[in-house]
Amino acid sequence: MALIEIRNLSKRWNSERLALDDVSFDLRQGEILGLLGHNGAGKSTVLGISLGMVRPDSGGVTIAGHSVQQERGKALRQVGAIYEAAAFYDYLTAWQNLRVLCSLSGWWDEVEVKRVLKLVNLHQRAHHKTRTFSHGMRQRLALAQALLPLPKCLLLDEPTDGLDPEGIREFREFVLRLRADFGMTILLNSHLLVEVEQMCDRCVILKQGKKIYEGPVPSQEKKRGVYQLQSPDMAKAHEIAARAGAMVPSGDLIELPPHVLGHEMLRLLVEGGVRVDAWQQHKPTLEELYMGLTK
Amino acid sequence: MSLFLQQWMGELIKLFARRRTYIGFGAFILLETALLIMFRIRGGEKWFEKIISGQGRAFEHYYSALTLALIVLAFSVLILGALYIALVSGDIVAKENEDGHYRLLLSRPVSRLRLLFLKYLTCLCYTVVLIQFISWSAFLLGVLVRGWGGGFFAMAPEVGLMTFYEWGPGMERFALGSLFLSFSMMTVSSVAFFLSCLPIKPAAATIGALSYILIDMILRNMELMESYKHLLLTAHMGNWTRILADPIPWAVIIRSYTVLTAMCASLFIVGTAIFEARDLKS
Repeated sequence: MALIEIRNLSKRWNSERLALDDVSFDLRQGEILGLLGHNGAGKSTVLGISLGMVRPDSGGVTIAGHSVQQERGKALRQVGAIYEAAAFYDYLTAWQNLRVLCSLSGWWDEVEVKRVLKLVNLHQRAHHKTRTFSHGMRQRLALAQALLPLPKCLLLDEPTDGLDPEGIREFREFVLRLRADFGMTILLNSHLLVEVEQMCDRCVILKQGKKIYEGPVPSQEKKRGVYQLQSPDMAKAHEIAARAGAMVPSGDLIELPPHVLGHEMLRLLVEGGVRVDAWQQHKPTLEELYMGLTK
Repeated sequence: MSLFLQQWMGELIKLFARRRTYIGFGAFILLETALLIMFRIRGGEKWFEKIISGQGRAFEHYYSALTLALIVLAFSVLILGALYIALVSGDIVAKENEDGHYRLLLSRPVSRLRLLFLKYLTCLCYTVVLIQFISWSAFLLGVLVRGWGGGFFAMAPEVGLMTFYEWGPGMERFALGSLFLSFSMMTVSSVAFFLSCLPIKPAAATIGALSYILIDMILRNMELMESYKHLLLTAHMGNWTRILADPIPWAVIIRSYTVLTAMCASLFIVGTAIFEARDLKS
Protein backbone atom coordinates (compact mmCIF):
# COMPACT_ATOMS: atom_id res chain seq x y z
CA MET A 1 0.00 0.00 0.00
CA ALA A 2 1.34 3.43 -0.91
CA LEU A 3 1.81 5.76 2.06
CA ILE A 4 2.99 8.65 -0.09
CA GLU A 5 1.67 9.21 -3.60
CA ILE A 6 3.47 11.73 -5.74
CA ARG A 7 1.42 12.49 -8.83
CA ASN A 8 2.30 14.40 -12.00
CA LEU A 9 4.38 17.07 -10.29
CA SER A 10 5.43 19.93 -12.52
CA LYS A 11 7.12 23.12 -11.40
CA ARG A 12 8.78 26.01 -13.14
CA TRP A 13 10.90 28.53 -11.27
CA ASN A 14 10.14 32.12 -12.25
CA SER A 15 8.06 30.83 -15.18
CA GLU A 16 11.27 29.90 -16.95
CA ARG A 17 13.48 27.13 -15.63
CA LEU A 18 11.75 23.78 -15.54
CA ALA A 19 12.40 22.21 -12.14
CA LEU A 20 10.02 19.25 -12.41
CA ASP A 21 8.29 17.77 -15.40
CA ASP A 22 5.39 15.42 -14.72
CA VAL A 23 7.09 13.40 -11.97
CA SER A 24 5.09 10.59 -10.35
CA PHE A 25 6.03 7.79 -8.00
CA ASP A 26 4.81 6.09 -4.82
CA LEU A 27 6.35 5.19 -1.50
CA ARG A 28 5.06 1.96 -0.09
CA GLN A 29 4.53 1.45 3.61
CA GLY A 30 7.79 0.46 5.31
CA GLU A 31 10.09 0.95 2.35
CA ILE A 32 13.16 3.15 2.02
CA LEU A 33 13.17 4.91 -1.32
CA GLY A 34 16.17 6.84 -2.59
CA LEU A 35 15.65 9.94 -4.68
CA LEU A 36 18.73 10.46 -6.83
CA GLY A 37 19.87 13.07 -9.27
CA HIS A 38 22.52 15.66 -10.03
CA ASN A 39 22.43 19.02 -8.26
CA GLY A 40 19.46 20.90 -9.66
CA ALA A 41 17.72 17.74 -10.88
CA GLY A 42 14.65 18.60 -8.82
CA LYS A 43 15.10 16.34 -5.77
CA SER A 44 14.68 19.08 -3.17
CA THR A 45 11.75 20.53 -5.12
CA VAL A 46 9.95 17.18 -4.79
CA LEU A 47 10.56 17.30 -1.04
CA GLY A 48 9.56 20.95 -0.82
CA ILE A 49 6.27 20.18 -2.56
CA SER A 50 5.75 17.13 -0.34
CA LEU A 51 6.06 19.40 2.71
CA GLY A 52 3.85 22.13 1.26
CA MET A 53 6.69 24.64 1.17
CA VAL A 54 6.80 24.82 -2.59
CA ARG A 55 3.64 25.10 -4.67
CA PRO A 56 3.50 22.85 -7.72
CA ASP A 57 2.28 24.26 -11.03
CA SER A 58 0.37 21.01 -11.45
CA GLY A 59 0.01 17.68 -9.70
CA GLY A 60 0.13 17.01 -6.00
CA VAL A 61 1.28 14.84 -3.13
CA THR A 62 -0.89 12.67 -0.91
CA ILE A 63 0.37 11.39 2.44
CA ALA A 64 -1.66 8.73 4.23
CA GLY A 65 -4.69 9.68 2.17
CA HIS A 66 -4.45 13.43 2.81
CA SER A 67 -3.50 15.87 0.09
CA VAL A 68 -0.57 18.06 1.14
CA GLN A 69 -1.87 20.84 -1.10
CA GLN A 70 -5.38 20.79 0.37
CA GLU A 71 -5.04 19.36 3.90
CA ARG A 72 -1.46 20.19 4.77
CA GLY A 73 -1.99 19.93 8.53
CA LYS A 74 -3.50 16.45 8.42
CA ALA A 75 -0.99 15.20 5.86
CA LEU A 76 2.08 16.44 7.74
CA ARG A 77 0.87 14.98 11.03
CA GLN A 78 2.31 11.69 9.75
CA VAL A 79 5.65 13.15 8.67
CA GLY A 80 9.02 13.99 10.16
CA ALA A 81 11.41 15.84 7.90
CA ILE A 82 14.82 17.32 7.37
CA TYR A 83 14.43 19.73 4.46
CA GLU A 84 17.66 21.23 3.13
CA ALA A 85 20.15 22.37 5.81
CA ALA A 86 18.49 22.40 9.24
CA ALA A 87 18.71 25.95 10.59
CA PHE A 88 18.23 25.92 14.33
CA TYR A 89 17.95 28.99 16.54
CA ASP A 90 21.57 29.43 17.59
CA TYR A 91 20.69 31.46 20.65
CA LEU A 92 18.45 28.69 22.03
CA THR A 93 19.51 25.39 23.56
CA ALA A 94 18.82 22.09 21.79
CA TRP A 95 16.03 21.48 24.29
CA GLN A 96 14.44 24.90 23.65
CA ASN A 97 14.72 24.39 19.90
CA LEU A 98 12.89 21.09 20.19
CA ARG A 99 10.28 22.69 22.45
CA VAL A 100 9.57 25.44 19.90
CA LEU A 101 9.36 22.95 17.02
CA CYS A 102 7.28 20.36 18.87
CA SER A 103 4.82 23.03 20.00
CA LEU A 104 3.97 23.53 16.32
CA SER A 105 2.97 19.88 16.18
CA GLY A 106 0.88 20.38 19.32
CA TRP A 107 2.97 17.81 21.14
CA TRP A 108 5.41 17.71 24.04
CA ASP A 109 6.53 14.74 26.10
CA GLU A 110 9.71 15.27 28.09
CA VAL A 111 10.33 11.54 28.57
CA GLU A 112 10.10 10.90 24.83
CA VAL A 113 12.28 13.94 24.02
CA LYS A 114 14.95 12.68 26.42
CA ARG A 115 14.72 9.21 24.87
CA VAL A 116 15.19 10.52 21.33
CA LEU A 117 18.04 12.82 22.40
CA LYS A 118 19.74 9.78 23.90
CA LEU A 119 19.07 7.85 20.72
CA VAL A 120 20.93 10.47 18.67
CA ASN A 121 23.57 10.76 21.39
CA LEU A 122 22.86 14.38 22.27
CA HIS A 123 21.38 13.88 25.73
CA GLN A 124 24.45 15.35 27.44
CA ARG A 125 24.29 18.51 25.30
CA ALA A 126 20.52 19.02 25.53
CA HIS A 127 20.85 22.25 27.51
CA HIS A 128 23.70 23.74 25.51
CA LYS A 129 23.10 26.47 22.95
CA THR A 130 23.13 25.10 19.42
CA ARG A 131 25.67 27.73 18.36
CA THR A 132 28.22 25.56 20.17
CA PHE A 133 27.25 22.46 18.14
CA SER A 134 29.39 20.94 15.39
CA HIS A 135 27.87 20.23 11.99
CA GLY A 136 27.47 16.57 12.87
CA MET A 137 25.67 17.42 16.11
CA ARG A 138 23.31 19.72 14.25
CA GLN A 139 22.52 16.94 11.80
CA ARG A 140 21.78 14.62 14.70
CA LEU A 141 19.58 17.25 16.28
CA ALA A 142 17.83 17.65 12.94
CA LEU A 143 17.14 13.93 12.95
CA ALA A 144 15.90 14.15 16.56
CA GLN A 145 13.42 16.89 15.69
CA ALA A 146 12.20 14.87 12.71
CA LEU A 147 11.47 11.97 15.08
CA LEU A 148 9.47 14.09 17.55
CA PRO A 149 6.71 13.06 17.72
CA LEU A 150 7.41 9.66 16.17
CA PRO A 151 6.17 9.90 12.57
CA LYS A 152 4.94 7.26 10.16
CA CYS A 153 7.33 8.44 7.51
CA LEU A 154 10.53 10.42 7.26
CA LEU A 155 11.47 12.75 4.43
CA LEU A 156 15.20 13.30 4.53
CA ASP A 157 16.93 15.78 2.27
CA GLU A 158 20.64 14.96 2.01
CA PRO A 159 20.82 14.14 5.72
CA THR A 160 24.46 13.02 5.70
CA ASP A 161 25.71 16.12 3.93
CA GLY A 162 28.88 17.25 5.70
CA LEU A 163 29.07 14.27 8.07
CA ASP A 164 32.35 12.41 8.54
CA PRO A 165 32.53 8.73 7.47
CA GLU A 166 31.83 7.54 11.00
CA GLY A 167 28.83 9.85 11.23
CA ILE A 168 27.52 8.58 7.90
CA ARG A 169 27.81 5.00 9.05
CA GLU A 170 26.07 5.76 12.35
CA PHE A 171 23.31 7.56 10.50
CA ARG A 172 22.84 4.66 8.10
CA GLU A 173 22.57 2.15 10.92
CA PHE A 174 20.18 4.44 12.77
CA VAL A 175 17.85 4.84 9.81
CA LEU A 176 17.84 1.11 9.11
CA ARG A 177 17.01 0.52 12.78
CA LEU A 178 14.10 2.93 12.54
CA ARG A 179 12.64 0.93 9.71
CA ALA A 180 13.27 -2.37 11.50
CA ASP A 181 11.86 -1.20 14.86
CA PHE A 182 8.99 1.02 13.76
CA GLY A 183 8.31 0.00 10.17
CA MET A 184 8.97 3.59 9.18
CA THR A 185 8.65 4.64 5.55
CA ILE A 186 11.60 6.76 4.46
CA LEU A 187 12.21 8.97 1.45
CA LEU A 188 15.93 9.64 1.23
CA ASN A 189 17.01 12.41 -1.06
CA SER A 190 20.69 12.08 -1.80
CA HIS A 191 23.36 12.39 -4.40
CA LEU A 192 25.53 9.84 -2.61
CA LEU A 193 25.09 6.64 -4.60
CA VAL A 194 26.73 4.46 -1.96
CA GLU A 195 24.32 5.75 0.65
CA VAL A 196 21.30 4.90 -1.48
CA GLU A 197 22.78 1.57 -2.49
CA GLN A 198 23.31 0.55 1.11
CA MET A 199 20.04 1.79 2.55
CA CYS A 200 17.30 1.83 -0.04
CA ASP A 201 14.96 -0.81 -1.38
CA ARG A 202 14.10 1.16 -4.50
CA CYS A 203 15.22 4.33 -6.09
CA VAL A 204 13.94 7.05 -8.36
CA ILE A 205 16.41 8.92 -10.54
CA LEU A 206 15.67 12.44 -11.74
CA LYS A 207 17.41 14.24 -14.55
CA GLN A 208 16.63 17.86 -15.35
CA GLY A 209 13.29 17.55 -13.60
CA LYS A 210 12.25 14.34 -15.36
CA LYS A 211 11.98 10.89 -13.84
CA ILE A 212 14.28 8.63 -15.82
CA TYR A 213 14.27 5.57 -13.59
CA GLU A 214 12.09 4.01 -10.93
CA GLY A 215 12.84 0.54 -9.70
CA PRO A 216 14.92 -1.60 -7.45
CA VAL A 217 18.37 -0.47 -6.38
CA PRO A 218 20.55 -2.52 -8.77
CA SER A 219 22.94 -3.99 -6.21
CA GLN A 220 19.99 -5.52 -4.39
CA GLU A 221 18.54 -6.94 -7.53
CA LYS A 222 19.75 -10.44 -8.40
CA LYS A 223 20.54 -10.34 -12.08
CA ARG A 224 21.47 -13.95 -12.45
CA GLY A 225 21.53 -13.76 -16.21
CA VAL A 226 24.54 -11.48 -16.65
CA TYR A 227 28.03 -12.99 -16.43
CA GLN A 228 31.49 -11.57 -16.74
CA LEU A 229 34.01 -13.49 -18.79
CA GLN A 230 37.77 -13.13 -18.80
CA SER A 231 39.38 -14.93 -21.72
CA PRO A 232 41.99 -14.43 -24.42
CA ASP A 233 39.45 -15.84 -26.94
CA MET A 234 36.72 -13.22 -26.64
CA ALA A 235 35.70 -13.20 -30.30
CA LYS A 236 35.17 -16.95 -30.27
CA ALA A 237 33.31 -16.69 -26.96
CA HIS A 238 30.97 -14.04 -28.34
CA GLU A 239 30.24 -16.20 -31.37
CA ILE A 240 29.33 -19.23 -29.22
CA ALA A 241 27.26 -17.08 -26.86
CA ALA A 242 25.35 -15.50 -29.73
CA ARG A 243 24.62 -18.96 -31.19
CA ALA A 244 23.12 -19.92 -27.81
CA GLY A 245 20.87 -16.84 -27.92
CA ALA A 246 22.90 -14.70 -25.48
CA MET A 247 23.45 -10.96 -25.82
CA VAL A 248 26.77 -9.22 -25.43
CA PRO A 249 26.03 -5.82 -23.83
CA SER A 250 29.70 -4.90 -23.46
CA GLY A 251 33.12 -6.41 -24.13
CA ASP A 252 33.34 -8.80 -21.22
CA LEU A 253 29.68 -9.19 -20.28
CA ILE A 254 27.39 -11.91 -21.55
CA GLU A 255 23.65 -11.72 -20.87
CA LEU A 256 22.14 -15.16 -21.00
CA PRO A 257 18.72 -15.96 -22.44
CA PRO A 258 16.18 -17.06 -19.77
CA HIS A 259 16.41 -20.77 -20.62
CA VAL A 260 20.23 -21.00 -20.32
CA LEU A 261 21.89 -21.22 -16.92
CA GLY A 262 25.37 -19.91 -16.11
CA HIS A 263 27.05 -23.29 -15.78
CA GLU A 264 25.47 -24.46 -19.06
CA MET A 265 26.92 -21.49 -20.95
CA LEU A 266 30.30 -22.12 -19.30
CA ARG A 267 30.16 -25.72 -20.54
CA LEU A 268 29.32 -24.54 -24.08
CA LEU A 269 32.25 -22.14 -24.05
CA VAL A 270 34.73 -24.71 -22.78
CA GLU A 271 33.45 -27.35 -25.20
CA GLY A 272 33.77 -24.78 -28.01
CA GLY A 273 37.47 -24.43 -27.24
CA VAL A 274 37.41 -21.10 -25.44
CA ARG A 275 40.06 -20.70 -22.76
CA VAL A 276 38.20 -19.35 -19.72
CA ASP A 277 40.33 -17.47 -17.17
CA ALA A 278 37.36 -16.29 -15.10
CA TRP A 279 33.55 -16.70 -15.30
CA GLN A 280 31.48 -15.00 -12.64
CA GLN A 281 28.05 -13.58 -12.14
CA HIS A 282 28.00 -9.87 -12.80
CA LYS A 283 26.48 -7.65 -10.14
CA PRO A 284 25.64 -4.30 -11.73
CA THR A 285 26.17 -1.32 -9.40
CA LEU A 286 23.92 1.66 -8.85
CA GLU A 287 26.77 3.80 -10.11
CA GLU A 288 26.73 1.96 -13.45
CA LEU A 289 22.99 2.39 -13.74
CA TYR A 290 23.10 6.04 -12.67
CA MET A 291 25.96 6.98 -14.96
CA GLY A 292 24.35 5.11 -17.82
CA LEU A 293 21.04 6.92 -17.38
CA THR A 294 22.29 10.40 -16.66
CA LYS A 295 25.13 10.52 -19.16
CA MET B 1 -6.63 27.43 23.19
CA SER B 2 -3.91 25.80 25.27
CA LEU B 3 -2.23 24.66 22.04
CA PHE B 4 -2.32 28.22 20.76
CA LEU B 5 -0.78 29.51 24.00
CA GLN B 6 1.86 26.79 23.88
CA GLN B 7 2.78 27.83 20.33
CA TRP B 8 2.74 31.51 21.21
CA MET B 9 5.00 30.76 24.15
CA GLY B 10 7.45 29.29 21.63
CA GLU B 11 7.49 32.59 19.73
CA LEU B 12 7.96 34.56 22.94
CA ILE B 13 10.81 32.27 24.01
CA LYS B 14 12.52 33.05 20.69
CA LEU B 15 12.01 36.79 21.04
CA PHE B 16 13.02 37.16 24.65
CA ALA B 17 15.95 34.72 24.45
CA ARG B 18 17.79 37.16 22.16
CA ARG B 19 20.15 39.60 23.76
CA ARG B 20 19.20 42.24 21.18
CA THR B 21 15.66 42.38 22.56
CA TYR B 22 17.01 43.69 25.86
CA ILE B 23 19.46 46.14 24.30
CA GLY B 24 16.39 48.19 23.39
CA PHE B 25 15.27 48.36 27.00
CA GLY B 26 18.75 49.38 28.18
CA ALA B 27 19.01 52.01 25.46
CA PHE B 28 15.77 53.61 26.61
CA ILE B 29 16.98 53.99 30.19
CA LEU B 30 20.06 55.80 28.87
CA LEU B 31 18.02 57.93 26.48
CA GLU B 32 15.53 58.92 29.15
CA THR B 33 18.31 59.90 31.53
CA ALA B 34 19.99 61.91 28.77
CA LEU B 35 16.69 63.62 27.93
CA LEU B 36 16.16 64.64 31.56
CA ILE B 37 19.67 66.06 31.81
CA MET B 38 19.25 67.91 28.48
CA PHE B 39 15.87 69.23 29.58
CA ARG B 40 17.44 70.72 32.68
CA ILE B 41 20.54 72.11 30.95
CA ARG B 42 18.60 73.65 28.02
CA GLY B 43 16.22 75.51 30.32
CA GLY B 44 13.17 73.32 29.76
CA GLU B 45 12.19 73.74 33.38
CA LYS B 46 12.08 77.53 33.08
CA TRP B 47 9.90 77.26 29.99
CA PHE B 48 7.47 75.01 31.84
CA GLU B 49 7.50 77.30 34.85
CA LYS B 50 6.45 80.18 32.59
CA ILE B 51 3.57 78.20 31.10
CA ILE B 52 2.29 76.66 34.36
CA SER B 53 2.57 79.94 36.27
CA GLY B 54 0.98 81.73 33.32
CA GLN B 55 -2.09 79.55 33.87
CA GLY B 56 -2.25 80.70 37.47
CA ARG B 57 -1.08 77.33 38.87
CA ALA B 58 1.72 76.51 41.33
CA PHE B 59 4.77 75.37 39.37
CA GLU B 60 6.25 73.36 42.24
CA HIS B 61 3.02 71.37 42.55
CA TYR B 62 2.34 70.65 38.87
CA TYR B 63 5.93 70.16 37.73
CA SER B 64 5.85 66.61 39.12
CA ALA B 65 7.13 63.12 38.33
CA LEU B 66 4.10 62.58 36.09
CA THR B 67 4.70 65.80 34.14
CA LEU B 68 8.36 64.92 33.64
CA ALA B 69 7.43 61.34 32.66
CA LEU B 70 5.07 62.61 29.97
CA ILE B 71 7.74 64.90 28.49
CA VAL B 72 10.37 62.13 28.48
CA LEU B 73 7.87 59.58 27.13
CA ALA B 74 6.81 61.76 24.19
CA PHE B 75 10.40 62.47 23.16
CA SER B 76 11.88 59.00 23.64
CA VAL B 77 9.09 57.24 21.76
CA LEU B 78 9.53 59.72 18.94
CA ILE B 79 13.31 59.29 18.82
CA LEU B 80 13.89 55.59 19.50
CA GLY B 81 10.55 53.85 20.03
CA ALA B 82 9.60 53.59 16.37
CA LEU B 83 13.12 52.43 15.50
CA TYR B 84 13.12 49.53 17.96
CA ILE B 85 9.60 48.45 17.14
CA ALA B 86 10.35 48.53 13.40
CA LEU B 87 13.58 46.63 14.02
CA VAL B 88 11.88 43.76 15.85
CA SER B 89 8.79 43.60 13.63
CA GLY B 90 10.78 44.01 10.43
CA ASP B 91 12.96 41.09 11.43
CA ILE B 92 10.33 38.72 12.64
CA VAL B 93 9.35 37.16 9.30
CA ALA B 94 12.13 38.21 6.93
CA LYS B 95 15.05 37.26 9.19
CA GLU B 96 13.66 33.80 9.86
CA ASN B 97 13.27 33.33 6.14
CA GLU B 98 16.81 34.57 5.50
CA ASP B 99 18.18 32.21 8.17
CA GLY B 100 16.21 29.26 6.79
CA HIS B 101 14.16 28.62 9.94
CA TYR B 102 10.93 28.14 7.99
CA ARG B 103 12.33 24.97 6.48
CA LEU B 104 12.21 23.53 10.00
CA LEU B 105 9.07 25.28 11.24
CA LEU B 106 6.92 24.54 8.21
CA SER B 107 7.83 20.87 8.02
CA ARG B 108 5.45 20.71 10.99
CA PRO B 109 1.67 20.40 10.66
CA VAL B 110 1.07 24.11 11.20
CA SER B 111 -0.39 26.49 8.66
CA ARG B 112 1.46 29.57 7.46
CA LEU B 113 -1.48 31.69 8.55
CA ARG B 114 -1.26 30.40 12.10
CA LEU B 115 2.50 30.80 12.19
CA LEU B 116 2.28 34.39 10.95
CA PHE B 117 -0.53 35.18 13.34
CA LEU B 118 1.65 33.95 16.22
CA LYS B 119 4.47 36.15 15.00
CA TYR B 120 2.21 39.16 14.55
CA LEU B 121 0.84 38.71 18.03
CA THR B 122 4.41 38.55 19.32
CA CYS B 123 5.21 41.86 17.57
CA LEU B 124 2.18 43.47 19.17
CA CYS B 125 3.11 42.03 22.54
CA TYR B 126 6.66 43.40 22.20
CA THR B 127 5.25 46.82 21.28
CA VAL B 128 3.04 46.94 24.37
CA VAL B 129 5.84 45.69 26.65
CA LEU B 130 8.34 48.21 25.24
CA ILE B 131 5.99 51.20 25.44
CA GLN B 132 4.91 50.27 28.95
CA PHE B 133 8.55 49.90 29.93
CA ILE B 134 9.38 53.33 28.46
CA SER B 135 6.36 54.88 30.22
CA TRP B 136 6.98 53.48 33.65
CA SER B 137 10.76 53.85 33.56
CA ALA B 138 10.20 57.51 32.63
CA PHE B 139 7.82 57.76 35.58
CA LEU B 140 10.39 56.20 37.93
CA LEU B 141 13.05 58.63 36.73
CA GLY B 142 10.55 61.42 37.30
CA VAL B 143 9.96 60.19 40.86
CA LEU B 144 13.73 60.12 41.42
CA VAL B 145 13.99 63.75 40.30
CA ARG B 146 10.75 65.28 41.65
CA GLY B 147 9.64 62.77 44.29
CA TRP B 148 6.24 61.14 44.80
CA GLY B 149 3.06 63.22 44.62
CA GLY B 150 2.02 66.60 43.30
CA GLY B 151 -0.15 67.35 40.29
CA PHE B 152 0.01 66.48 36.61
CA PHE B 153 0.37 69.07 33.88
CA ALA B 154 -0.37 67.50 30.48
CA MET B 155 0.41 69.39 27.31
CA ALA B 156 0.18 68.33 23.65
CA PRO B 157 0.44 71.38 21.34
CA GLU B 158 -0.30 69.40 18.14
CA VAL B 159 -3.83 68.69 19.36
CA GLY B 160 -4.15 71.96 21.33
CA LEU B 161 -4.21 70.24 24.71
CA MET B 162 -3.30 71.73 28.07
CA THR B 163 -4.82 70.25 31.26
CA PHE B 164 -4.11 70.02 34.97
CA TYR B 165 -4.83 67.03 37.22
CA GLU B 166 -4.17 66.07 40.79
CA TRP B 167 -1.92 63.06 41.51
CA GLY B 168 -4.56 60.29 41.60
CA PRO B 169 -6.53 61.19 38.47
CA GLY B 170 -3.22 62.20 36.83
CA MET B 171 -1.82 58.70 37.38
CA GLU B 172 -4.96 57.20 35.85
CA ARG B 173 -4.69 59.44 32.77
CA PHE B 174 -0.98 58.74 32.41
CA ALA B 175 -1.58 54.96 32.56
CA LEU B 176 -4.46 55.16 30.08
CA GLY B 177 -2.44 57.43 27.79
CA SER B 178 0.54 55.06 27.74
CA LEU B 179 -1.84 52.20 26.92
CA PHE B 180 -3.25 54.11 23.94
CA LEU B 181 0.27 55.07 22.89
CA SER B 182 1.01 51.32 22.81
CA PHE B 183 -1.99 50.84 20.51
CA SER B 184 -0.75 53.67 18.30
CA MET B 185 2.72 52.18 18.02
CA MET B 186 1.19 48.86 16.93
CA THR B 187 0.73 50.62 13.59
CA VAL B 188 4.51 50.95 13.19
CA SER B 189 4.73 47.29 14.12
CA SER B 190 2.12 46.35 11.51
CA VAL B 191 3.81 48.31 8.71
CA ALA B 192 7.16 46.65 9.52
CA PHE B 193 5.50 43.23 9.81
CA PHE B 194 3.81 43.67 6.43
CA LEU B 195 7.10 44.60 4.76
CA SER B 196 8.76 41.67 6.51
CA CYS B 197 6.35 39.30 4.72
CA LEU B 198 7.63 40.48 1.34
CA PRO B 199 10.60 38.73 -0.26
CA ILE B 200 13.06 41.39 0.95
CA LYS B 201 15.93 41.60 3.41
CA PRO B 202 15.03 42.22 7.08
CA ALA B 203 16.92 45.53 7.09
CA ALA B 204 14.90 46.67 4.08
CA ALA B 205 11.67 45.94 5.98
CA THR B 206 12.87 47.98 8.98
CA ILE B 207 14.10 50.89 6.87
CA GLY B 208 10.96 50.77 4.75
CA ALA B 209 8.69 50.97 7.79
CA LEU B 210 10.64 53.82 9.35
CA SER B 211 10.70 55.71 6.05
CA TYR B 212 6.96 55.34 5.68
CA ILE B 213 6.30 56.66 9.18
CA LEU B 214 8.76 59.51 8.72
CA ILE B 215 7.28 60.60 5.36
CA ASP B 216 3.80 60.35 6.85
CA MET B 217 4.90 62.54 9.76
CA ILE B 218 6.50 65.14 7.44
CA LEU B 219 3.34 65.28 5.30
CA ARG B 220 1.26 65.70 8.44
CA ASN B 221 3.16 68.84 9.33
CA MET B 222 2.81 70.36 5.87
CA GLU B 223 0.20 73.04 5.46
CA LEU B 224 -0.99 71.80 2.09
CA MET B 225 -1.95 68.49 3.72
CA GLU B 226 -4.19 70.19 6.27
CA SER B 227 -7.43 68.94 4.72
CA TYR B 228 -6.00 65.44 4.06
CA LYS B 229 -4.69 64.74 7.57
CA HIS B 230 -7.32 62.07 8.12
CA LEU B 231 -5.52 60.00 5.47
CA LEU B 232 -2.23 60.02 7.36
CA LEU B 233 -1.44 57.32 9.88
CA THR B 234 0.62 59.50 12.20
CA ALA B 235 -2.29 61.94 12.53
CA HIS B 236 -4.41 59.13 13.96
CA MET B 237 -1.51 57.71 15.97
CA GLY B 238 -0.96 61.11 17.63
CA ASN B 239 -4.49 61.07 19.00
CA TRP B 240 -3.36 59.04 22.00
CA THR B 241 -2.61 62.41 23.65
CA ARG B 242 -6.33 63.27 23.56
CA ILE B 243 -6.78 60.68 26.34
CA LEU B 244 -5.19 63.33 28.55
CA ALA B 245 -7.93 65.86 27.73
CA ASP B 246 -10.75 66.54 30.17
CA PRO B 247 -13.32 65.36 29.22
CA ILE B 248 -11.93 62.66 26.95
CA PRO B 249 -13.13 63.20 23.35
CA TRP B 250 -14.07 59.54 22.84
CA ALA B 251 -15.67 60.10 19.43
CA VAL B 252 -12.38 61.36 17.93
CA ILE B 253 -10.38 58.65 19.69
CA ILE B 254 -12.70 55.83 18.62
CA ARG B 255 -12.63 57.08 15.02
CA SER B 256 -8.83 57.22 14.96
CA TYR B 257 -8.34 53.83 16.57
CA THR B 258 -10.90 52.25 14.26
CA VAL B 259 -8.90 53.56 11.30
CA LEU B 260 -5.64 52.27 12.84
CA THR B 261 -7.17 48.88 13.67
CA ALA B 262 -8.50 48.53 10.13
CA MET B 263 -5.10 49.52 8.76
CA CYS B 264 -3.28 46.99 10.99
CA ALA B 265 -5.72 44.21 10.07
CA SER B 266 -5.37 45.01 6.36
CA LEU B 267 -1.57 45.01 6.56
CA PHE B 268 -1.64 41.65 8.34
CA ILE B 269 -4.07 40.11 5.83
CA VAL B 270 -2.20 41.36 2.75
CA GLY B 271 1.19 40.44 4.25
CA THR B 272 -0.03 36.94 5.07
CA ALA B 273 -1.53 36.50 1.58
CA ILE B 274 1.81 37.44 0.02
CA PHE B 275 3.71 35.10 2.32
CA GLU B 276 1.21 32.29 1.64
CA ALA B 277 1.89 32.53 -2.09
CA ARG B 278 5.66 32.31 -1.71
CA ASP B 279 7.77 29.23 -2.31
CA LEU B 280 10.10 28.62 0.62
CA LYS B 281 13.28 27.20 -0.75
CA SER B 282 16.91 28.23 -0.47
